[in-house]
Amino acid sequence: MATDALRAQIAGKWQSAFSRLNRGEPGISGLLSFSEAWTIAADFLQPRDLADPAPKKEHDMQEVRGAFDTLSKSKMLPMLLENFLESMRKQRYLIEREVDQFMSQYDSTEDCQYIAGLVLRLVEWYKAWAPIPELGYTILSAYTLAFHTQTFSILPPSFASGFKALVASTLTLIDSDTLPTWAHHPALAYYNPKRPDVPLWSAFDQLGLLDRYESLISSVCYEHIEAHIQETCAGKWGEPMLARLREWMAEKIVPWMIMPYARGARNTDEARSMLQGIGSRFDFHVCKTLSDLRTKEIFDIIVDYPDSLCALQDLKECLQRVDQRTELVQTLRKANKKRLLHPGADTKDILLQYVSIIRCLRIVDPPGVLLYKVADPIRKYLRERPDTIRCIVASLVGDGESGDSLVDENEPIQPLQQLQVEDYTDPNWEPEPIDAGPEFRTNKPSDVISTLVSIYDSKDLFVKELQVLLAQRLLSIKDGNFERERRNIEILKIRFGESALQVCEVMLRDMTDSKRIDQHVQSQKSLSLHPTIISGHFWPPLQSSTLTMPGQLKELQDEYSKQYTTFKPDKRLRWLPQLGSIKLELTLQDRTVSADVSLLEAAFIELFSEKDIWTIDELTTRVRSIDRISAAKALATWVDMGVLKAGGDSVYRLLEVAEEVPTSSSAAAIQHLPAVEEVPTIMTVQQQQAEQMKVYWKFIEGMLTNLGQLSLDRIQSMLKLAPGYDRTIEQLASFMEAARREGLVTVKDGVWKLNR
Amino acid sequence: MKVTVKNWHAIAQWRWDTGTNEDEGDGEGDVCGICRVPYEGCCPSCKMPGDDCPLIWGECSHVFHMHCLLQWIGTAASKQQCPMDRRPWVTAERKVNHSNGR
Ligand SMILES: [Zn+2]
Ligand SMILES: [Zn+2]
Ligand SMILES: [Zn+2]
Repeated sequence: MATDALRAQIAGKWQSAFSRLNRGEPGISGLLSFSEAWTIAADFLQPRDLADPAPKKEHDMQEVRGAFDTLSKSKMLPMLLENFLESMRKQRYLIEREVDQFMSQYDSTEDCQYIAGLVLRLVEWYKAWAPIPELGYTILSAYTLAFHTQTFSILPPSFASGFKALVASTLTLIDSDTLPTWAHHPALAYYNPKRPDVPLWSAFDQLGLLDRYESLISSVCYEHIEAHIQETCAGKWGEPMLARLREWMAEKIVPWMIMPYARGARNTDEARSMLQGIGSRFDFHVCKTLSDLRTKEIFDIIVDYPDSLCALQDLKECLQRVDQRTELVQTLRKANKKRLLHPGADTKDILLQYVSIIRCLRIVDPPGVLLYKVADPIRKYLRERPDTIRCIVASLVGDGESGDSLVDENEPIQPLQQLQVEDYTDPNWEPEPIDAGPEFRTNKPSDVISTLVSIYDSKDLFVKELQVLLAQRLLSIKDGNFERERRNIEILKIRFGESALQVCEVMLRDMTDSKRIDQHVQSQKSLSLHPTIISGHFWPPLQSSTLTMPGQLKELQDEYSKQYTTFKPDKRLRWLPQLGSIKLELTLQDRTVSADVSLLEAAFIELFSEKDIWTIDELTTRVRSIDRISAAKALATWVDMGVLKAGGDSVYRLLEVAEEVPTSSSAAAIQHLPAVEEVPTIMTVQQQQAEQMKVYWKFIEGMLTNLGQLSLDRIQSMLKLAPGYDRTIEQLASFMEAARREGLVTVKDGVWKLNR
Repeated sequence: MKVTVKNWHAIAQWRWDTGTNEDEGDGEGDVCGICRVPYEGCCPSCKMPGDDCPLIWGECSHVFHMHCLLQWIGTAASKQQCPMDRRPWVTAERKVNHSNGR
């Protein structure tokens, strides 16, 4: 039940509402003019159909402004806005209809001119429906928001891809002579023909597309950068590309960026500060993309080094900006594993690539953290290869016929630096952290040779291999000129130390002494024999055999020995008969044959000067215990030269008169011979070690007999109790592996036992 | 057929004629009784073997690196005796007689 008080309260409210609408006018004239004002304003704001061919309704703007003023005084503008937005919703279908048209054209042609057309048309709608500015910011922004929301709800999903294509085409304007189709749109065609996109960007802005598609627009630019880098930088390692890319960004991309990212800037400074954030993001993307590309190419870049120096310097700069170091390490490790560390690769090639990796990664990452991570598997792999040391050593003494030397001539020769970091046997060894500080490198060898030598625990193996190699080279010198070897030894002394090369000094001295002695001997009695006389204890073990020289060859040896002892009364000579070479001239009935041959070959042919027909057995008996295969091979040399002829039952006949077709018969004879490897005259370090390792077999055999089965570690630790045992576990492993191949032992799950 | 040797590059190894091992065996077993290094090696104070580190023959038939023996003789403990048989050391006149050679 309404009380009087309540009634009075309601009446009061009505009164005040009325007087607000009536604006204090006399009677209800105010109220009447309010209703008139509402009608005028609402009619003015009514969203019209742009497609309606009827001419636009003319409004008396003074009357319209008066009406808005009246409504504003009555505080009815919010209601008017409400009403207006409702009308927009009702008229929405007008826009929707046109959007559908544009979009169906776009969908069937994929031509983004329809997107441009649509955008520009939407702007027309936007402008046509906009209320006058006098209504104030609040109403305008409410309108804009409503229009944007409505537009976005109308636009179909395929609009985004069309919009992206349109934006992408604005990026290529600067590089292309022909305008895209959309640039012929009447709203754009009369603008600056170089930048027809400028009004388009305003349109994007007015429709709120810049905000809505912000990430899509930047992704267009990212993709543009990626495509450009791929196109201009892939495989191009000889020129600095990063600086060029940054120039390209400044010239081509920054002017474009002003439109989406520095709209409304009033001067250059303002534009610059607005572009700073996005510019830095794009620069980051340039570095990231180039770094990705170079990472992908890294293996071949290293192969190409030093021609690829610029690419490496670029990569270094990129990596300072983008942390792609882990990716680089992983990619290179994977590539190395696939392309380098496989049985088909030459040790020499692996070493060359390793050295290039060292040099290249030092450019990219001077502290050496990357190198450390990449090098580890290579070093492990090289350690397992039997000929690694020999390859390194050969390169050290300039044995590289290919010209690809591991040693950089520009690198100063310096003593070996032993490193502690990579000592894997050290129980305290730990990998360096990724953020290893500057001290990381201080205990690492900086020169390539030290790094290579440090693959192994000690340099002793190198020294031994060096001695073998130098011995081989010295013994093969025939012209007495060993100045090159002397120089080599001088250099090696700097690297490995005087004492390591002491035996090589003795070798060199033997060479000079031999020359001097020979000069003396020849002055006493001219002999066609010129020996190199060595101090046996200082040379690597020479493979000994018991070849006895026949006939005049033996006489020559004896005569030389006699002359030698006359000259050096306290000393005797012992001939190492299977070493060296001999130049012979054979005078046959119808021809003379000159030949540079081995001593065994010489011995055999000398025997043929006694009689014309020999069996292999007879021959080998005369020169003493030469195996049949070596003998057959030596005889084949003479058969090849047409001096001997092989008959049945291993009989050989001297051809005093040349046969018509000596080649075919000899070819047949050779076919019966198994291929024999050229026997190296000096035992390699490997052979020496295998020889010494045999001594320990009986220890191992005893252990396994008594204890059943043992792991490699156990065998190693027990062998250390054996006198003089100094092998590494790797050496033991390869020995055990050899024993397994011989069927002496078996291994399962790392446990060895005797095979019985 | 006549075989003419035009040029022969051979390898030989020298050894001291200690008068003991005359046969063709390996002839490398003999060491200096003082330093235990083979005669054809060099004494601990030398780097070059051979003429630079010669041998010395005693009347007692023992042979040493000359440097090793001189150093030994120079010590008071040696009493100028051969370290092998403690007989007074007398250096032998080196026989230049190779009729007993091989
Ligand atoms: Zn001695
Ligand atoms: Zn000496
Ligand atoms: Zn004595």
